[in-house]
Amino acid sequence: MSEALLTISDLRVAFATQSGRVQAVDGVSFELMPGEVLAIVGESGSGKSVTAQTIIGLTRSVNAEIEGSIKLGEQELVTASEGELRGVRGTRVGMVFQDPMTSFNPVYRIGRQITEALRAHRGDVSKDEARERAVELLDSVGIPNVERRVDDYPHEFSGGMRQRAMIAMALALDPEVLIADEPTTALDVTVQAQILALLERVNRERGLATILITHDLGVVAEVADRVLVMHKGTIVERGDLDRIFYSPSDPYTRKLLDAVVRIDTAAPLRARRESESLLEVTDLVKHFPVKRGIVFEREVDQVKAVDGVSFSVRQGETLGLVGESGSGKSTLSRTILQLLRPTSGSVRFEGNEIVGLSRRRLQPLRREMQMVFQDPFASLNPRKRIGQIVGEPLRLQGEARGGELRRQVQELLDRVGLSAEHYDRFPHEFSGGQRQRIGIARALALRPKLIIADEPVSALDVSIRAQILDLLSELQADFGLTYIFVAHDIGVVRQVSDRIAVMYRGKIVEEGAADTVCERPQDAYTKKLLAAVPIPDPREARARRQTVVQ
Amino acid sequence: MRVASQPNVEEAARAAASPWQLAWRRLRRNRVALAFGGLFVLIVVFALAAPLWANHIAHTGPNSTHTLQKLEVDGEKREVVNPSGKPIGPQWLEAGGRFFVGADGRLGRDEMVRLMYGGRTSLLVGFSAALITTLLATLLGLLAGYYRGWTDTVISRAMDVIWAFPVILLAIALGLTLAVGGLKIGPLELSGSSIWIPILIIGAVYVPYMARPIRGEVLSLREKEFVEAAEAQGAGALRVMFGELLPNLASTIIVFFTLGVANAMLLESMLSFLGVGVQPPNTSWGTMVGSGFQLITSAPLLTVLPGTLLLLTVLSINVFGDGLRDALDPRSKLRLELHAGASEPEGTAV
Amino acid sequence: MVRFVVRRLCGMVAVLFAVSVLVFLIFNVIPNSDPALRMAGKNATPTLVHNITEEWGFDDSLPQQYVTMMGKIFSGDVISYEGQENVDERIVEGIPATFSLCFGAAVIWMFFGVLFGYLSAVRAGGLLDRVLTIVAVTGLSIPVFWLAAILLNYLTYQTEIFPSGGYVKFGESPLEWAEHLILPWVTMAIVYVGIYSRVLRSNMLDAMNEDYVRTARAKGLSERRVMTRHVLRNSLIPIVTLFGLDFGALVGGAIAVEAVFSLNGIGQYAYESLINTDLPPIMAIVLFGAFFIVLFNAFVDIAYAWLDPRIRLGEEAR
Repeated sequence: MSEALLTISDLRVAFATQSGRVQAVDGVSFELMPGEVLAIVGESGSGKSVTAQTIIGLTRSVNAEIEGSIKLGEQELVTASEGELRGVRGTRVGMVFQDPMTSFNPVYRIGRQITEALRAHRGDVSKDEARERAVELLDSVGIPNVERRVDDYPHEFSGGMRQRAMIAMALALDPEVLIADEPTTALDVTVQAQILALLERVNRERGLATILITHDLGVVAEVADRVLVMHKGTIVERGDLDRIFYSPSDPYTRKLLDAVVRIDTAAPLRARRESESLLEVTDLVKHFPVKRGIVFEREVDQVKAVDGVSFSVRQGETLGLVGESGSGKSTLSRTILQLLRPTSGSVRFEGNEIVGLSRRRLQPLRREMQMVFQDPFASLNPRKRIGQIVGEPLRLQGEARGGELRRQVQELLDRVGLSAEHYDRFPHEFSGGQRQRIGIARALALRPKLIIADEPVSALDVSIRAQILDLLSELQADFGLTYIFVAHDIGVVRQVSDRIAVMYRGKIVEEGAADTVCERPQDAYTKKLLAAVPIPDPREARARRQTVVQ
Repeated sequence: MRVASQPNVEEAARAAASPWQLAWRRLRRNRVALAFGGLFVLIVVFALAAPLWANHIAHTGPNSTHTLQKLEVDGEKREVVNPSGKPIGPQWLEAGGRFFVGADGRLGRDEMVRLMYGGRTSLLVGFSAALITTLLATLLGLLAGYYRGWTDTVISRAMDVIWAFPVILLAIALGLTLAVGGLKIGPLELSGSSIWIPILIIGAVYVPYMARPIRGEVLSLREKEFVEAAEAQGAGALRVMFGELLPNLASTIIVFFTLGVANAMLLESMLSFLGVGVQPPNTSWGTMVGSGFQLITSAPLLTVLPGTLLLLTVLSINVFGDGLRDALDPRSKLRLELHAGASEPEGTAV
Repeated sequence: MVRFVVRRLCGMVAVLFAVSVLVFLIFNVIPNSDPALRMAGKNATPTLVHNITEEWGFDDSLPQQYVTMMGKIFSGDVISYEGQENVDERIVEGIPATFSLCFGAAVIWMFFGVLFGYLSAVRAGGLLDRVLTIVAVTGLSIPVFWLAAILLNYLTYQTEIFPSGGYVKFGESPLEWAEHLILPWVTMAIVYVGIYSRVLRSNMLDAMNEDYVRTARAKGLSERRVMTRHVLRNSLIPIVTLFGLDFGALVGGAIAVEAVFSLNGIGQYAYESLINTDLPPIMAIVLFGAFFIVLFNAFVDIAYAWLDPRIRLGEEAR
């Protein structure tokens, strides 16, 4: 029975904010054993990140009240002095943050930022020795061309490599504990798989203990040994990986697990009717010119965001468009709606060509095609009341005015699960999920035939996602809508789509019925993508790892 | 995409309050800003009271000379300007309020009356110039930021050229040439001593300083999804610029305008001090410091008073403007509140 | 980086050209009176006006006038009809004084501006911060010319703490050179100390909330290291650009300060010309002043680009 490396007892953290006192962590106790990967899972506001950052005292400030005990071995950290804490940071506990781009200082080279950590603690290390060590570290986390790369600046690394470098930096002084706060959330799925593998390897090889903070149950199933589930500042359930996933006892945990969308589950049966083609896209191309030049800028190259895409969507069906960042899926959705003018190609809506139409001719067509946006915080004008926002399309198209307009808007609000009395409120008064509902109401106002939903649930908590997806489903049935559902999360896409198209670097590499594409992929990239998606099912995850090893 | 589970403060749902009401509440809590705002109001009242004081108390105008006159005080006769040219000092209330703070030099004009009228001019020029700057800068910034492409290039290059000129040199050059020659552009004709000349000059030279940041903000706002949403609904350029972008620029514009008044007043006073700003018969605090400087050793008050008033005015505008900025955009303030866990109200079904 | 430099320099040339055209327009085209009459100044006689018209080509086409004007200014061929002296020569004579004034003031304001800004940010919300903020806001609200007059009167004339009597060449006596410049330096610096300390404070407060600062702390760096190596370093970058812009504006302030303290530099020459509505010197001073600023700014931009590796190396991720 080994000793716990880290013992946390009754930790409480409260902050004084402009809106009053917020109790972020409300009595959290747990232990971290050597060699294990402990996952702390929760949604936003659960207090998981605050807990992690409090361990090394990053949350200390005049406005923070921290009570309880955090013991690293024999050392008490809650009451430790700044000097003592500094002695712990980096040397005994290393930390990896979510966004490697902003977590590195953009004006210093990567190597220098690593050696800085070394030399801050070990005055006896010379510049050359430190640099050598940095090179070693970067090499150990899988960075190619290390000798050259060590002198690069953060912006010269790709996202995945930056995260590797961050991990290297956290391990520079051979800490006993590694805390990883949402380390893969900002990364593409394929890169995420690599980083998780790296974390697991590093943990094993160096005999670390790792605390992994995440909201993604799939990630947990891939790498965790034990799990803590947090909700509103407390731990609602804890246990071994399998027990949590297969026999959860707490209702919140069960709710989380139920809400998780799995890639390997077939979508619920959807009524299929043979229907007419609503939208036909043929050889659609959108290039962005790259201009360079000394005095006069000439186009020297092009970013081929959409590079010859063809597909069609039938009335009443849902086409899922899957791709990682840079695949061109967002550009494609905007080009279809003519928010961006296509470079070439054709888009036929109900048989009529819409590419090249003048703004005036496009105006009436706008009622037929609308969009739901990704970011609940940026998609609503903060200065307008939501009644105004939802009513705007009706006003613009001359559909209704005054009292009639108000009535229609209130009806819409009601339909999406909000209340008519929310009419006069401002966006900042609503949660993310509610704002997405407002965005949906706005898209629905003109009773369009086609709605393109661009990552509509990616910015939402897991438990809210299901609600929004259900809403979209209901609306589709009630209003006879056709959807193009754009997302990077193929699991979510599978749940809602009849057909799936996979995009990679501006082209569609695979297309077919949702179940077919997910279970019997043909294209190499699709296969890679599917293999990388973490499965929120520990046994499956283990089985898959075995097959990969073989 | 960064999930909203990072510990960042985003204010939780509040009782129904528009962004403006929230800003007003914040401003109300800022005692210092309000105090200086009050000071500014007092100074404005002081300046506006000029005709009252001139007619009822001092019984003289800002340009009326009294070189050879004598004041009757308690039976004593005091010369307004003594033979060696030294003007009379502050009488306070001894002469019934006439020459309250003395005479202004060889010409024997009532300094107090001049301070008040001078204040009117300084405030008028500052305010009008800032208004012109704000209107032009907003328009240009909106156009450049929204349309981008050629429109942006043309506007930005033009701004760059003006920007390249040190503000003061440009203002001096314009002030000098227009004071001497007056201005005639098409139907617009102004004489060299018109008050509009400094107003237009100061209004114009500050345009790039305001237009650039506004353009920058428009460029970033333009990328936000709510603008795309408006376009997807068929909103045209005008609607997007004035209906979507402008309301979000309002706070910036208000703060810029406020600070713009302060800067305009400082520039006007500098130009007037050098003789190329406000021209006689108009008088401003700047011209008064300029003429007072000639008598600095014998009658320092003539320099101290107008300058102090100017300093207090500009100071109060700056402090209030700062408070305004904090109220309208609290994120720019020191974030004393660190990261709380709650970023959204939790799991209610809605 | 090379591409950036070349591009910047070409841009600079274009701006210089535009500036010269603007000067031409301001002095000869926009105002509504006879340019020769304006230039002749107070002692205008018909003969003089006629001679000026011929010399400067005011009867020629506008483009021709422009060329003549530029030619005369740059070849040192401009004469002030008021003072009967060569303008360019007098300008050159004034350079040492003006440069001493501006350079000294700049050093002072940068030093104190950064110091106060740094202290304010590090002790944000505390007493020191409040005091420094008051000092800063007051400083930037003071009219420079007025402050100069006040300081001159109370610290030189009335109390004789500081010497009067204008500029003393550095070569003659470094001590007296400095003595005579202290008040002018302080006058010019106060406004900018105010501005810069607030800008730096604001930048630093923003930087303190950045993720990379959190990382630096998580690595176990001392608070001081975090503040200087990370927060301050990154906050200084925009200050550099600002400095470029403001150094230009210094020129204007120099006019008033030199005039008040009788420093016999370019600024004082400008002041005298203004009071006498003598155009030719102002023409030349404005043109040279603007040119100097454009060049200086190009230099600053290039320095800024060099400091920020994202620009220096280009934005591509390899």
